[in-house]
Amino acid sequence: MNAIAHALPTTATHGALSIRGLSKSYALKGKPMQVLKDIELNIQPGEFVSIVGASGCGKSTLLRLIVGLDQAYQGQILLDQQPVHGPGLERGIVFQDHRLFPWMTLQQNIALALKNHTMPATHKDRLVAEHIALVGLSGYEQAYPHQLSGGMAQRAAIARALVNKPKVLLLDEPLGALDALTRVRLQQELQRIWVQERCTVIMVTHDIEEALYLGDRVIVMDAHPGRIREDLRIDLPHPRERDSTVLQAYKQRLLGELVGH
Amino acid sequence: MNLKSLRGLVLPLLLLGAWEYASRQDAAGAYAFVPLAQVGAAWVEVLGSGELLVNLWASLLRTCTGLALGIVGGIGLGALMALSAPANRLIAPLFHALRQVPMLGWIPLIALCFGNGESAKLLIVSLAALYPMVLNTFESLRQVEGQHREAARVLMLSRAQQLRLILLPAALPGIAAGVLQALAFAWVTSVGSELFLSSGAGLGSLMMNAEAGARMEIIVVCVLCIGLCGYLMSWLCTLLSRRLLRWRPTR
Ligand SMILES: Nc1ncnc2c1ncn2[C@@H]1O[C@H](COP(=O)(O)OP(=O)(O)OP(=O)(O)O)[C@@H](O)[C@H]1O
Ligand SMILES: [Mg+2]
Repeated sequence: MNAIAHALPTTATHGALSIRGLSKSYALKGKPMQVLKDIELNIQPGEFVSIVGASGCGKSTLLRLIVGLDQAYQGQILLDQQPVHGPGLERGIVFQDHRLFPWMTLQQNIALALKNHTMPATHKDRLVAEHIALVGLSGYEQAYPHQLSGGMAQRAAIARALVNKPKVLLLDEPLGALDALTRVRLQQELQRIWVQERCTVIMVTHDIEEALYLGDRVIVMDAHPGRIREDLRIDLPHPRERDSTVLQAYKQRLLGELVGH
Repeated sequence: MNLKSLRGLVLPLLLLGAWEYASRQDAAGAYAFVPLAQVGAAWVEVLGSGELLVNLWASLLRTCTGLALGIVGGIGLGALMALSAPANRLIAPLFHALRQVPMLGWIPLIALCFGNGESAKLLIVSLAALYPMVLNTFESLRQVEGQHREAARVLMLSRAQQLRLILLPAALPGIAAGVLQALAFAWVTSVGSELFLSSGAGLGSLMMNAEAGARMEIIVVCVLCIGLCGYLMSWLCTLLSRRLLRWRPTR
């Protein structure tokens, strides 16, 4: 009995991510410093994977490598069996800071992601409007980023990443900067959106509860060098109950592991 | 609110009062500080004869043309230097050396090469506008945050799209500040070049002629005109840049 099958009908056939023997070093004062070591990760199409780990263990670096912003690494990153080279529209990313362009309205920001698609303008307009509605920002199309709240800007960034219908969505602490209430609301929204869009999601977070609530899997990383310590499967169907006893038990266990040692 | 907006007028009015007072002291005072009534009469005279408008128009036209050339050239050159390291290495030393020569220092050389006609003056004005535009464009393009560049790369924008949609808008506040500086330089050098290269129409020429004819009151009219026009132009520029930069949070 696979719980994922409930939430994800068989339509998610693209977006299998396979990471093999991935290592990454940065040069620090002339000396190489290993940030990621031998990462092995296989992610099924449509899976929601949460990554938690101490600050500086290389979570953001991992996402940067997957999205293709940094190509100096050892090992392999395969998307649907094809190696990735540089950025591509089949991979979307939401950074921790929303990174909307301040000189563009919400609508222009989201439409920018469709800039190089060859589809009729009316089709683009419809997609943009749909995705603004998806993240609950209808009515704010003409607002500039500085006129949006932090949570609204973050939702807009999610819409910008989703409008291309990426096979893989990478989220780098997307809700990290938000207050607790907004965060809980956006977690629910994220879950709803994911159930609706059915793309593969990798979300980095500092919040264990958030990782457990949303993830089909929770990857725990160790630091120095960054590596995978544990790969936890959460076999609970979506949408989930926040206070489910299963999640609580997992939470205690993870907290013990992350803080205890 | 109304009173506040009038505060800027206090100092000019006081100055006018002092001026009028000085003009009433003795004959020497009345020669240097022409009575305001006489200035007013001169204003009416040069307006009526069309002299003022013809010369004002000539100066304004040259300022605007030179400014436009300087802005376009300056943004182009500044962008080239900011975006291409080889181009920067090639151009920067020469540019910064030439920049040290004051605008007035160029006038003899330019007069020798181009005569004292309109093209020489236009060249001076364009050069004066070019410098701040290059500097501001270069600096503000250099300072575009890496985060914006990364977001643009993730969205798969081409190099040209990145320049047009991301880099230039991000640099626009700095470029707009450059335009304000360029405007001031252009206006000053436009009138200044007429004082040195006396030929053709312009407020500077009108002043030179008035000096030759000992018409102090006309000189005063010209000075007022220059100040007023400069003020109006930079006010218009500020309005325009506010409109273009309306996406910025108000601080
Ligand atoms: N451009 C860089 N040059 C050199 N070292 C870097 C660079 N970027 C990151 N690092 C180093 O790589 C390590 C991992 O950084 P990374 O940003 O991936 O951590 P993280 O797990 O995302 O941390 P956090 O949870 O605080 O965001 C850190 O020790 C950092 O100092
Ligand atoms: Mg990080």
